[in-house]
Amino acid sequence: MTTKVPPLTYKVIAECSVTKARAGLMTLRHGEVNTPVFMPVGTQGTLKGLLPDQLIELNCQILLGNTYHLGIRPGIETLQKAGGLHNFMGWPRNILTDSGGFQMVSLLKLAEIDENGVNFCSPFDNSECMLTPEHSIQIQNTIGADIMMQLDDVVKTTTVGPRVEEAMHRTIRWLDRCITAHARDDDQSLFPIVQGALDANLRKQCAYALIQRKVRGYAVGGLSGGESKHEFWRTVNLCTDLLPKEKPRYLMGVGFAADLVVCVALGIDMFDCVFPTRTARFGCALVNTGQLNLKNKKYEDDMRPIDEECECSTCRRYTRSYLHHIATSQSVSCSLLSIHNVAYQLRLMRSMREAILRDQFPQFVCDFMAKHFEGETVPLWIREALQAVNVELPHDENDATVNVA
Amino acid sequence: MKFVIEKISKSSGRLGYLVQTETEKRFRTPLLVQTTKGGSIPYLSREVFDYVTEEVPALQFTLSTIDHMVESLKLFNGTFGAYVGYPECLSLLIIRDSCELIPSGHNDKDIIPLFTRRGKEHITVKRYMDTVETLKPDIYQGLCDADTNLESSKKRIIKCVDRTAQFMDACYERHQNSKVLKKCALFAPIVGGYSTHARCESIKHAKAKGEKLANGYIFEGFHNYGLSACQVDSEQLIKVMTHCLNELSDDKPKMMPGAYTPPVMLELISLGVDIFDTSYAYCAASNFKALTFNFNLKTVENATSQPFLEISNESLKEDFTPLIRDCSCLTCRKHTRAYLNHLYKTKELLGPILLMIHNLHHMMHFFSTICKCIADDNLPDLIKLIKFQRGSLAVDYSIKPNTKIISKNDQDKNYTILNDDQK
Repeated sequence: MTTKVPPLTYKVIAECSVTKARAGLMTLRHGEVNTPVFMPVGTQGTLKGLLPDQLIELNCQILLGNTYHLGIRPGIETLQKAGGLHNFMGWPRNILTDSGGFQMVSLLKLAEIDENGVNFCSPFDNSECMLTPEHSIQIQNTIGADIMMQLDDVVKTTTVGPRVEEAMHRTIRWLDRCITAHARDDDQSLFPIVQGALDANLRKQCAYALIQRKVRGYAVGGLSGGESKHEFWRTVNLCTDLLPKEKPRYLMGVGFAADLVVCVALGIDMFDCVFPTRTARFGCALVNTGQLNLKNKKYEDDMRPIDEECECSTCRRYTRSYLHHIATSQSVSCSLLSIHNVAYQLRLMRSMREAILRDQFPQFVCDFMAKHFEGETVPLWIREALQAVNVELPHDENDATVNVA
Repeated sequence: MKFVIEKISKSSGRLGYLVQTETEKRFRTPLLVQTTKGGSIPYLSREVFDYVTEEVPALQFTLSTIDHMVESLKLFNGTFGAYVGYPECLSLLIIRDSCELIPSGHNDKDIIPLFTRRGKEHITVKRYMDTVETLKPDIYQGLCDADTNLESSKKRIIKCVDRTAQFMDACYERHQNSKVLKKCALFAPIVGGYSTHARCESIKHAKAKGEKLANGYIFEGFHNYGLSACQVDSEQLIKVMTHCLNELSDDKPKMMPGAYTPPVMLELISLGVDIFDTSYAYCAASNFKALTFNFNLKTVENATSQPFLEISNESLKEDFTPLIRDCSCLTCRKHTRAYLNHLYKTKELLGPILLMIHNLHHMMHFFSTICKCIADDNLPDLIKLIKFQRGSLAVDYSIKPNTKIISKNDQDKNYTILNDDQK
């Protein structure tokens, strides 16, 4: 018998000689993924207002789906009969699913967690339900995503005290139950999640325990939940130090441009965030200097595209002026801005990857920050985070004036 | 704009084409023009429309949905078509959004009401013609009072004919004296509800004043647009239209915007109407219906077809077949009924996008079949097929509203949707 190719292989192709950034190639059952990668979120089996063909046109290689939502609608029976989510939604490329636990805790006010799993009231008939690690894996096995996440015990990032430690240990116990329950290890890869809130010791303990398990990649969870940026970057930095170099690292729920650049420098390979598509629905377009709120009257007569350098189908055809006039009032504006915003995120990741391949990533970071914070001071946390990986941002004029004063 | 008639047969429609003046591009009639909202084909970006067809479209811009962008256009270096992503399109400007029901009333002296997203606006001849000069469409309609339907009183009907005559006197004068409008074709409005007498008065005025200036005719005032257009009394409509078309010469194109049903469109085409819009396809898509009526005369099977498929129907939940077997549109090639049903239940925007792709594809192919049938002299066969769909009774093509609305709210926070479902 020939040995089957594992469902996930990851190869570091280039490492930045200064920071911890790396460029890699991850090969999954539904194609290759160039890392670092941003994964747009298609919660309910669709990325709001975009056709799969348009995502392929943008060279999007992997999408995220939400287990909780998909488990409710269309439901696992339908997904089973459809032959999985790829078939159901007509998406031929890769998919990653979360465990469903985070949504329960964040969306359902009545969710309670005990050793067995997450207890919640069904939003449909108020009956009591439970999501166990086994159940989450069973649903994810049916969805058939290329990468699945373990069910973790989520606590609010800013929680302190014994609850954090309990959640961390439980997350490890639940991982073992997930691994045991996982029925399709030949096609799908299960990622464990490093938990431990902002406590360095707990994060260490957790990471060490996860490394003992046979898995193909790791996620860093429990961040982006109201903690200070100061604590955020230190925790990310700690986790990437702890996790093995030869496997991909996924930072959950992070997607603002500046955060992406910093976290790539800290050694993260994969990201997801609803922000680019959510902000599109409110009429906002992402650009290097931040975002344009196209509803603003100042764009009424602005005949430039959103971004002169962007090659997306929206920037090729439409002016800010036209987008201003239809933003939020015509549903097509949601599609147009989502295309641009996803294109922006993917282009940002691509340029980082190229910079890493040329070993010019530190310069890229400096240029990016100069543009992103044009006329403003670069936040201290970014300076510090970058210093931790040996990048010193040049002091800008604003700082100079402050110093002189 | 030039109009060329290639073939004409009194009882079975006519074939021809419009020629865009500057590009000399031809647009075959009977022509299906794409109706738009805010300058865009509803739900579809240009990129997505290109998945529907490679043909250059004729676009129908509706003043009530673009009025707020007219000022900006003055600063734009290009046509309105280019501004909305279609630089090469044939552009038609009409006043009312044929996709939506228009409130009755509000007809004051010298103005017509325009129901825009900013609320009710008052349009005078001057304001209207200023706008036309800014937009420079290939074709535009004359200003008219078209606020009539089957129930309208005699008084209202007389009023709308009189007011339209007044508006048009001013429009003709302005059109004649404007250098900019030399390149724009003017379609004279024919109004008068369901009164043949009133319609004749309207035609008399259009002929007397517009014989040289009007390049075509647009018929309004049979309904108040939106779904009301697919509920018109077709017998009454055909009776009045037969009369009107007899009064008018053949050499000018005739246009009837609104969501007329396929059998009604066919009747009108056989009488000699040349231009329709896609609002029927839109009304079906926005009410979660996929068009499935059969227009293939060659199908051997005798199975009857339904005019549309209700996407909300729970029986589609696990139906992994396309909307129509053998349909070559993107939606049918890549997606299933089950997926569309899922998108409906989750109120996802992709649902109406995929339905619009299919419905437009279906209507466009329906229109090419119509052209072929006229060329082959078998339009009556097509009319029969469309009316009965191989059954024994006439099929009901009218669209019933589905009130589920794709929410613009933040759907990622799913509890809002869950709450909806609890209700």
